[in-house]
Amino acid sequence: VTRLDATRILVPLAGSEPIVASLGHPAYDLFAAGDRAANFYTWGSMGLASSIGLGLAMAQPDRRVFVVDGDGSLLMNLGSLATIGWERPANLVLIVWDNESYATTGGQDTATRHGADLAAAARAMGIAGAMTTRTPEELEAAVARAVREPGPWVIVAKVAESAPIAKPSLDYVLIKERFMAAIGCSESGAAGESA
Amino acid sequence: VTNRDPAWAAGVCAGLHAAGSRHVVYVPDNPLSHVLRILRDSYPDVRATIATREEEAFGIAAGLYMGGARPTVMLQSSGLGNSINAIASLLVPYRIPALVIVSMRGDAGEWNAAQAPMGRAVRPICDALGVPATTVEAADAVEAVVATAGRAAFDERTARACLLPRRVTVPDAAGAAATTPAPQVNRA
Repeated sequence: VTRLDATRILVPLAGSEPIVASLGHPAYDLFAAGDRAANFYTWGSMGLASSIGLGLAMAQPDRRVFVVDGDGSLLMNLGSLATIGWERPANLVLIVWDNESYATTGGQDTATRHGADLAAAARAMGIAGAMTTRTPEELEAAVARAVREPGPWVIVAKVAESAPIAKPSLDYVLIKERFMAAIGCSESGAAGESA
Repeated sequence: VTNRDPAWAAGVCAGLHAAGSRHVVYVPDNPLSHVLRILRDSYPDVRATIATREEEAFGIAAGLYMGGARPTVMLQSSGLGNSINAIASLLVPYRIPALVIVSMRGDAGEWNAAQAPMGRAVRPICDALGVPATTVEAADAVEAVVATAGRAAFDERTARACLLPRRVTVPDAAGAAATTPAPQVNRA
C-alpha cells in the first residue's frame, strides 16, 4: 500500500476530527487525500507532529486527535513516545507512515530499514496500544479500532513511497486559523482559557 | 506559599496565572524546582507537564494553544538551544503564542563555564527569532513582568520570553555551591 492510498483509508475514518500532519510527504498526501479545515499541516519543526498532537489531545479530551507522522520524523523525537506513554491520553491516535526512508529528502534509509521497530519502542515506553500494519486491511482495522476504543494508539503502517501529487497552502496563519475554527477554538473567541 | 518559597518563584506562579495560563510544559532545572513546588502546592488548577527535551515542550505547547489553552513553557537557558527550530519554524510563522520562562545560566554568579556560551547566546537568539525577551531585574518585579509578558503574548499571538537571571534566582550562589561536592579530576 502506498502512503497516499493509506492516507485515503485514514481520512474518512477520522470523520470531522483533527489530523495533524508532519512536514513533507505526510502533509502533502493528507492534502491530496482530502483537504479539510480540521487538517493541520506543518511546514517545519521536523519531529514535533506527535508533540503537537499530544498537546491538542490534552486540551481537547473530548475529541479524537489523529497525527500522521513519518518514521524519520518520529526517530528525531523518540522522547515524545515516553511523554505520551506517561500522559496516556485516551484520545490520541498516532499513525506513523513507515516507508523506511527519508523520502522527502531523496530516499535515504532510516533506521527502521535496519531493525528499528517503532511499535516496539512505543510499547517499551508504556503505550500498550501499539502495533504494526502491513496491508490496507490491517490498517483499516487498526484505525477503526482506534476510533472506537480508548488509546493512546500508535499505529506504525508500513507503506510504499509514492510521489506527492499536491501540496497545501504556504499561508501558515491561515492553516492555523482554519484549523482552530474547525475544532471550535477560534482565536477571536479564545480570550478566556477554555481548557 | 510558605516561608521557604522564594519571592521570585511565587511571582512566576502568580504572573503566569494572572496571564490566564493553566498549562505549564517544562524541562526542569534547580531554580525552577521552586516554581514547580509552588504550582503543585498552591495552584491546583494549573497542570504541569514534563517534556523530555525543550523542543518537544514547544511542540506540546503549540498543540495546547490550538486546543484553546494558554501555554507556558519553562526551561533553562541551555534548553533554548534545543528549541530554536521549534520556535523558528512552528511558533513564529504560524503565530502560535507561548509565555516562555527562562532560568538563566552562564550569567553573573555562574560557576560552570560550560554554561557561559549558551547563556550569552540567549538574547541574540531571541532577537534573531523575533521573540521579545525581558530580563527580570529584581525578585519583587517578577510577577508583574511575567503577567504583562503573558498577556501581551496571547493578545499579540507571539512567543514572549521572561529571562530570570541568577542574581534573582540564586542570590546566594556561593552558599548554594557549597552544598554540593567540589569538582575534582583524578589524573593518575
